[in-house]
Amino acid sequence: MTAVHQFVPTLAPRDAVGGHYLAVQETLRGAGYRSDIYSYEAKDEYKRLARSFTSFTGDGRGEPTWLLYHSSVGSPVADFVAARDEPLIVDYHNITPAPFFSRWEPAVAGALMKGRRQLAALETRAQLGIADSAFNAQELTDIGFERTSVVPILIDVVKAFAAPPDPATLGRLADARARGGADWLFVGRLAPNKAQHDIVKAFAAYRRLYDERARLHLVGGSSSHRYETALCDFVDALGLGDAVEITGPVSAGALTAHYETADVYVIASDHEGFCVPLLEAMHHRVPIVAYSAAAVPETLGDAGLLLDAKDAYTIATAVHRVVTDPDLRLQLVGAGVERLREFDIAKSRRKLLDAIDGVVGPAS
Amino acid sequence: MTDDHVDIHKLAAEIEAEVRARRAAGEYPPGFERELDRMFDRFAPPEVSNDFEAALERSEDLVIVDPVIPVASRSPVLGAVKRVMSKLLGWYHVWLAQQISALATAINTALRLLGGRVVDLEHVTGDIARARGVGARIPARRDDGAWQTSVTNALQGCAGRIAVVECGDGVLLDALVSTGLDAYGVEPRASVADAALARGLEVRIDDGAAHLHAVGAAALGGLVLRGLVERAPLGELLLLVDAAAAKLVPGGRLVVCSLRRESWGRDATAAEADLVAGRPLHPDTWNAVLPEQGFVDIQVHAAGADAYVVTATRADE
Repeated sequence: MTAVHQFVPTLAPRDAVGGHYLAVQETLRGAGYRSDIYSYEAKDEYKRLARSFTSFTGDGRGEPTWLLYHSSVGSPVADFVAARDEPLIVDYHNITPAPFFSRWEPAVAGALMKGRRQLAALETRAQLGIADSAFNAQELTDIGFERTSVVPILIDVVKAFAAPPDPATLGRLADARARGGADWLFVGRLAPNKAQHDIVKAFAAYRRLYDERARLHLVGGSSSHRYETALCDFVDALGLGDAVEITGPVSAGALTAHYETADVYVIASDHEGFCVPLLEAMHHRVPIVAYSAAAVPETLGDAGLLLDAKDAYTIATAVHRVVTDPDLRLQLVGAGVERLREFDIAKSRRKLLDAIDGVVGPAS
Repeated sequence: MTDDHVDIHKLAAEIEAEVRARRAAGEYPPGFERELDRMFDRFAPPEVSNDFEAALERSEDLVIVDPVIPVASRSPVLGAVKRVMSKLLGWYHVWLAQQISALATAINTALRLLGGRVVDLEHVTGDIARARGVGARIPARRDDGAWQTSVTNALQGCAGRIAVVECGDGVLLDALVSTGLDAYGVEPRASVADAALARGLEVRIDDGAAHLHAVGAAALGGLVLRGLVERAPLGELLLLVDAAAAKLVPGGRLVVCSLRRESWGRDATAAEADLVAGRPLHPDTWNAVLPEQGFVDIQVHAAGADAYVVTATRADE
């Protein structure tokens, strides 16, 4: 029986990519491959699901063994798989270009640069590059991968986003809504490439032009303490401390509550390799206004209002249109539900197996 | 699908056009967006890429490694254990920190010396970066009327967005938009860009080369290079050609508007020519450079006595 073992930097619960690793394992095993997960670190309840990558010494059964390395950041795991003899497949989830972090977190920028160098080094070893999006696949092609396949991130949206809303959060948000004003939402880690500061600028313009009672919720942990601090100081300097909520990490229930009370999901990211929260917004029937950059237009399709310009007035005007036009809102929500079908996990599993079978051959 | 179904791509374009029109009509609070940018920049760390001195100072700030061992813990027992360990191992951490700090200080000192040598070199040979900065602040005054017809003709039928890099006050850009082309401008000088914005044109306030670097691969149907091509040093010009090849869709049109070398440095361009490192290329040079990056159908058109226009097509792959 052929083995395809996964090698990952980190396996963590409540993380879309972590869920992807497990779904890949389930898919491979379901197709008859042997498949284990080896990681640099595994967190919380996922500790028992992965082995240390250094414990891998070869399959030892005399049967074909392939390594599937997931690339998203610099990691010693990349150097480890580069030094192995087994044939290799790379699943690329995108590495944020280092310049986004250079001024904010030089150490993070260094890790990102290392990740890209490692990815380039794996190109000579890899028989196939799998990518979450055509955008990511193009990056692989640009660094020399001859064979690539696009396989969206494996996510069962019904299960993954099924947490019931946290009653306390829902109550708090509903109370605020009762006082009037639209609720803007963005979900994602605070990070320079996600440009939450541009959302705040657009929100400030929106309050000034259209709705002085509007609120903005920026939900997610932080990838940069300095960026987070600057963002908070910026919000305070604008006098928007009462209108902008920067939540930090939240529970799945609190996240659902935010989606259920949002009027619009706004994204101004300069760089995204796929962007799972877009699928979340579609699932929760929240209309989307997005700046067209990197993989965002590809993931979004026609399920949102996609803007070429990201100046504050353009985003504010687009949000105003979505919030005040019920027919448009309905259309975008409907398109979101349709779009989600494209990312149905059964389809993505099939694409993954087609890609793997194409280079590895049948499981047994 | 009902008759009320909205074409969202058209709607997005309408919204962007509405914002441009309202901006041109002065309906938005003046200076508000720029004030937002300035306010956020106050809280952001300095850019590390351009300012050598700032980068060095930042590095020096980080040179001294703090040997204080964190002992905080939610558990009183663990906290006590950490404090004991800290006392036992403190001397070792201080020793390690001193070694690392000494190494970092030595590297920083070497960098300072190297920086000093580079400054000396720049004093002798001319500071390219500084000259570029000074030159970039001078509006590129060109008579767009000289090449307007050639540019418009070259871009007719162009599918996709057209970027006019260094659009200046927007005369040429306005002419392109008036013929129904989907064109936008890029202009690094905010005060000049304001004049183009006031015409209701779509203009990004950005460095031309940086903008091209940021747009997606094969995202443009056409590209007009103006102003910058006369000032940029040769290395940067070649990078600009690389970027043009990468960002144009196969079949996309490249148009280069340039003064002739003989007229460079006269009249309105005297200050620019004195202050910048580059100068206009001879038209034949474009003929030599563009095919290497996959451009075909290269033609040179005269644009009056003092200027020329080069048109080329990005070859199909």
